[in-house]
Amino acid sequence: MRHLEAEVVVVGGGSTGVGVARDAAMRGFRTILLERADLGQGTTSRFHGLLHSGGRYVVSDLGSATECAQENAILRRIQPHAIEDTGGFFVVTPDDDPAFADDFLAGAAKTGVPATEIPVAEALRRERLLNPGIKRVIEVADGSVDGWALVWSAARSAQSHGAQVLTYHRATGIQVRDGRVVGISAHDVKNDEQVLIDCSFILNCAGPWAGQVAALAGCHDVNVIPGAGIMIAMNHRLVNTVINRCVYPTDGDILVPVHTVSIIGTTDVKADDPDKLTIPRDQVQQMMDAGSVLIPTFREHRAVHAWAGARPLIKDDRVSSSDTRHMSRGMAVLDHDTRDGIKGMLTIGGGKLTTYRLMAEHIVDAMCEQLGQTRECTTATEPVPGEADGKLYHVTHRLHEREKNRLDEQTICECELLARSQLVSAMKEQPLGTMDDWRRQTRLGMGPCQGGFCSTRAAGIAVAEEVVDHERATGLLRLFLANRWIGLWPILANDQVRQVALDHWMLDGTMSVGHLPALETEIKQ
Amino acid sequence: MRIIVIGMGPAGLSAALRAVEAGHDVRLISKGEGGFQLSQGTLDVLASLDGHQIDQPLVAIASLGPEHPYAGIGADRVREAVNWAAERIGPELLVGSAEHNLVLPTAVGAMRPTAFAQPSMVAAAATREYAVVGVRQLKDMPAELMAGNLGAESAWIDLPARAGEQDPTSLTYARALEDPEFADRFADAVAKAAPPGEVILLPGVLGTRPGTWRRIRDRIGREIAEVPLVPPSVPGIRLHDAMVAAIRAAHVKVVIGSRVVGFEADGDRLSGVRVGIAGRTRTFGADAVIHAPGGFSSGALDVDSYGRITERVFGLPLTADDATGLITPSWFDPQPLFEVGVRADVHGRAVNADNEPVFRNLYVAGDIIAGAQRWIEKSGEGTAIATALRAADGLAEGA
Repeated sequence: MRHLEAEVVVVGGGSTGVGVARDAAMRGFRTILLERADLGQGTTSRFHGLLHSGGRYVVSDLGSATECAQENAILRRIQPHAIEDTGGFFVVTPDDDPAFADDFLAGAAKTGVPATEIPVAEALRRERLLNPGIKRVIEVADGSVDGWALVWSAARSAQSHGAQVLTYHRATGIQVRDGRVVGISAHDVKNDEQVLIDCSFILNCAGPWAGQVAALAGCHDVNVIPGAGIMIAMNHRLVNTVINRCVYPTDGDILVPVHTVSIIGTTDVKADDPDKLTIPRDQVQQMMDAGSVLIPTFREHRAVHAWAGARPLIKDDRVSSSDTRHMSRGMAVLDHDTRDGIKGMLTIGGGKLTTYRLMAEHIVDAMCEQLGQTRECTTATEPVPGEADGKLYHVTHRLHEREKNRLDEQTICECELLARSQLVSAMKEQPLGTMDDWRRQTRLGMGPCQGGFCSTRAAGIAVAEEVVDHERATGLLRLFLANRWIGLWPILANDQVRQVALDHWMLDGTMSVGHLPALETEIKQ
Repeated sequence: MRIIVIGMGPAGLSAALRAVEAGHDVRLISKGEGGFQLSQGTLDVLASLDGHQIDQPLVAIASLGPEHPYAGIGADRVREAVNWAAERIGPELLVGSAEHNLVLPTAVGAMRPTAFAQPSMVAAAATREYAVVGVRQLKDMPAELMAGNLGAESAWIDLPARAGEQDPTSLTYARALEDPEFADRFADAVAKAAPPGEVILLPGVLGTRPGTWRRIRDRIGREIAEVPLVPPSVPGIRLHDAMVAAIRAAHVKVVIGSRVVGFEADGDRLSGVRVGIAGRTRTFGADAVIHAPGGFSSGALDVDSYGRITERVFGLPLTADDATGLITPSWFDPQPLFEVGVRADVHGRAVNADNEPVFRNLYVAGDIIAGAQRWIEKSGEGTAIATALRAADGLAEGA
């Protein structure tokens, strides 16, 4: 049993939780963040990677549009290494009403979202695969964002201000005395140890899992409705600019270039359990059709991976919808004092990645108000550690890095140009991690071969570097292959079928991983 | 007869050699370099059934279902076929038999049976007391992981094949070992580093030529065994080179880097194939075609984004045409999709569901044929060679 002490405990290591932990720590609160798995393992990384310009909301939700535009500019300053400046187009396809573009431009002017109509010919010259039948194009300041880079750099910022970030710590109980939160207990999953944290405030940022966390304090009926959506990564940069469909926001209307892939998203279907999301065949077909409207040859290209994410929507009659002072658009704050008679706990739902910093500011403001304190928020002005240079990343950044040391250092994952030393430092940072934890830091196995070549190399390096023994490495290898397959089998087509056949040939055929010694208990995390 | 063979993996090369030996005029056309260079560089016949490794492949063939590529061929003809291929490739490159499997270690430390292996590998079948020596510059043999799973000790040598280059392909390293001076330095480094053990396991890069490994073994002064790596597979390239040398010596005409894009037919007979060569399409006339282009891994069988499965050149009827439901959610389960393929009759001709030849003179061989997941059961070369010989020997049927 470990005993810790903090003023504020944040539950949930997605963008909201990490942003809140950073904000609280920067305001001088002694802060601990608990995350049941890896940072950004839930909703934050299971999205399409869009850094909103605000354009998506200029007609449907003016307040969100303005917030997005402002936060977009702030994140480019404080976390530039997580962002690529792709720019964005809103395109009116042959199936869409051209008049909507007029509403769009008017809304953009009203909300302060930079937007300029450009000639269709120019858009087609810049994006050669785009549907030549498009009728109008409006250029906006979209970007793409690496969700893991974003949460990890925010977490390091929080740590630099004294916060403790405890991943693989699952909250198991919340202690309440005399109607006031006094502590929280957690299970350190990796070390199988109980952890008790004395604290006076809990910020429940568990997203789709917020209802489960609230219930630990006896606060029931926090009604989280996970809205599930699927995304599909297409091999290569089919486009280098974010392509949005210029219509009232709907399913499957965004194609986002992120790192080496282009991601089409997304659907929105009510899910019962955020831990049991599926990638249904009809939704895959829906995304393929949606992509074909933007890129006519879409179905001929190669899908490399798919995933499903859950939006953290909270429906609660007791949310005081008129009190928007401490809320960002699309965000819900439940005050468990007024709602359940428990002081020292707020539950946060909803939100968007682009506005995560602003949400965090509002949440910590709300906490300060309850505590009767005034502490200024500085998260919008201070860059995260190591990113004061203001340099946004570029899609070719790995190539640039490899050029410096291509003779001296081995490339472990050729698809993602991952150098050995980058992988080793991720392993050493999370020695109890799985290969998926290392993947989220390094993009190991995220390219076209989906681990076919790099998975055994990575398992071998983990043993060579004495991070794990050969038995755990073998188990981790199996787990990684099984996990990669979750996002592969629902979308297998075109050249990815060839790839999978080659991967099986190498892994199951030549190396016979299916006949490696089994562990007594297979590794799950 | 004028015979066109499409593909230059184990099936295409065997079919071409067998047909030219029978006196036919043979032209081999291939888009790629064939499957040998992707393979483990041994001849598999059958090594695993229902998750269990087996010792006697020919005995096990009898228990296979009627849909399996071996089913219409039978153990005797499979024995004859793989012996024929092993003989053509020669004892400098292949030893073993189809009667009993040799059990050899893999690069991650699993034990894998195969029928014929290269002389540079087989010392590992005689013992389980190994010493693993990795090469720092070769990332595809993880020495500690492999040794751990084999219960062996491991060590590394640090010896660039080219000065300053830390990340060569295995083929680059193998070419460097053709230099006797470098091979000696390599051997000395291995001898110095190797932990105790009856056989030293080394990455499968010991020269592009058949005998190079012997010089290294003799210099080390201990038994050694090569372990196959992922592509480019140096042992696989040795087998490929031997077969290509054999077909060229027998005057097979070879067209590589060219895709067959269509065909010409006269009723129920093919009269030629159209080939994309250097920016134009050229037609080669043929009295019969042996289609050995590989399966899903080569792209000869395709699945589109709607799940439709097709054979790309001739549009041949397949055992299934919809991939829906043929791909399962677990990586470790067999994937029925990869059993989909073309049906063949007793002469090796592509047939429809009623067992009627699609063309009287179109034969199929290798991975394009339905009924087996080669990498699971380890039967790739055996099914390729046996079906290639069935096709080449059946040519008279379509005349």
